[in-house]
Amino acid sequence: MDAQRAEVRALEAEIAALRRACEEPRAAGEDTWRAQKSLREMYQSDSEGWASSKDLRSHLGHLESELLFLSTLTGISVRNYSMKTEDLTNTEKKEKSIMKVLQRHRLSGNCHMITFQLEFQILEIQNKESLSSVITDLNIIMEPTEYSELSEFVSRAEERRDLLMFFRSLHFFVEWCEYRKRTFEHFKEKYPAAVHLPEGAASSCMVVRSACQPGFELVIIWRVQIDEEGRVLPKLDLLPKAPQQALELDRNRVLETAPLSFRALLGALGIEAALESLIKSLCTADYD
Amino acid sequence: MEWANDGKSKGGVLAHLERLEIQVNRSRKNLEDPQRAQAVESALGTKIHKLRCLRDELRAEVKQRQARVKASTVNVEPDQTLEISEQEVVERRKENVKAILQAYRFTGLSGKLTSRGVCVCISTAFEGNLLDSYFIDLVIQKPLRIHHHSIPVFIPLEEISAKYLQTNIQHFLFCLCEYLNAYAGRKYQADRLQSDFAAFLAGPLRRNSLCNLLSFTYKVEPQGQSFPFCARLLYKDLTTALPTDVTVTYQGMDALSPAWEEQRASHENLFFSKPLHQVFTSFARKGEKLDMSPVS
Repeated sequence: MDAQRAEVRALEAEIAALRRACEEPRAAGEDTWRAQKSLREMYQSDSEGWASSKDLRSHLGHLESELLFLSTLTGISVRNYSMKTEDLTNTEKKEKSIMKVLQRHRLSGNCHMITFQLEFQILEIQNKESLSSVITDLNIIMEPTEYSELSEFVSRAEERRDLLMFFRSLHFFVEWCEYRKRTFEHFKEKYPAAVHLPEGAASSCMVVRSACQPGFELVIIWRVQIDEEGRVLPKLDLLPKAPQQALELDRNRVLETAPLSFRALLGALGIEAALESLIKSLCTADYD
Repeated sequence: MEWANDGKSKGGVLAHLERLEIQVNRSRKNLEDPQRAQAVESALGTKIHKLRCLRDELRAEVKQRQARVKASTVNVEPDQTLEISEQEVVERRKENVKAILQAYRFTGLSGKLTSRGVCVCISTAFEGNLLDSYFIDLVIQKPLRIHHHSIPVFIPLEEISAKYLQTNIQHFLFCLCEYLNAYAGRKYQADRLQSDFAAFLAGPLRRNSLCNLLSFTYKVEPQGQSFPFCARLLYKDLTTALPTDVTVTYQGMDALSPAWEEQRASHENLFFSKPLHQVFTSFARKGEKLDMSPVS
């Protein structure tokens, strides 16, 4: 039965490779696509030519599942990577047994909907006692650029050449954005008349309006911020809107103090419960 | 640090590991239950048949594309067109995947699947300096178990695994990553102080193994008239590489002049906000500037 499973894995790997071959664009005139006589050979020798590359393909299958595991674990999907090395050791250094190597790395991939391309250089210096590896240059290109919070974070990461923090914070940033989107969508679905997402579910703004109390509006701004240390934190603010008359009647200054009370509510109930209670409180008449 | 509370990512990693666990159990079960094994075998046989059909379809499609490309490159001599066998395609893909797996160390977490489960490697860095990496070998069983690891004993591994290991492997590993990176950063700063700025220290640098309590006596100018200050740095938050408590004191009998008191206070601020070795680099630079000024 293990042989069968190995065959399944090998077939899956071959299918993946063939799919990729179908996706690759044809270059006009050039022989980027080489003629494949061996394809014919493959049809004929179904079992014999296959036996020798069976190990190769099952090995590939194993590697692909390792890759899938890592991309699920880190939330980062690396699609391409290459490296070039340049030996900077000169004769003077060699005499002192110091070796210097400059590595140029290129890495690209995506974290959910955000794609990135990185180019960085690492200088490795090996002397008698130790080996030091320092990132000497880091360039990050990201898209889409609609997340304004990210551009500042990216410049900071480039400045500090902090590659690990870049990936770690990116992972948490995207997780928070996805969570925010799911939460907004959940509330829109549950209270379709009251909840409005004027900039879409992927934005930072959710508006709560009551059909019975036009003129009153609760605007919730939910930003995902990355601080100096690379920590990702949600920051929620409440902006209530009310007609002039209501403000005059508001002797207890409920509206004025609403933003602060909201922060306290968040601390006590957490994000989802706080938002739910806000919606319910504004729209009690609607849902009675 | 706040965690985004969702079951999706937990499902992803844990589900994957569970699938691996199922595979291990399956092969064990098959030895025990031949009838069940037969049923599974015939299911596999069907699957293989389906995959073979799909593969043949794809091969045909690829062949068609070949024919189309060939038709459009009529002038090219057949012997000039290079051939790559299907084996080479797989080889190239394999090399690509291997390289990508290596590149994962730059994300902070990389690893290998093992016969028992997975061995995860956590890399650390501080300000662009790539530092030590640590590994943790996990066995996929219920409950999830740590087989062995290279995490230093003063990192609260038991605490972190009690909190997260069984419920969310991803959070467990990211949390460990935080602690290890912060430790590596603190250690790097202390090492640099000892090696690069020994001239400024009037006495040994006292440090604990977690590098979160440092105390030392230093002079702003190595050979000069400045007073020695005593500094005590405490890093209560083990996930940061900057201190939470700083005290700089003067170990003398006389009171400090206002100018020196100002310096003492500014030093305290410096230690709070900048990495240790950078603070001393700025002392060194100021010292160079002072050398250039005329003697008053």
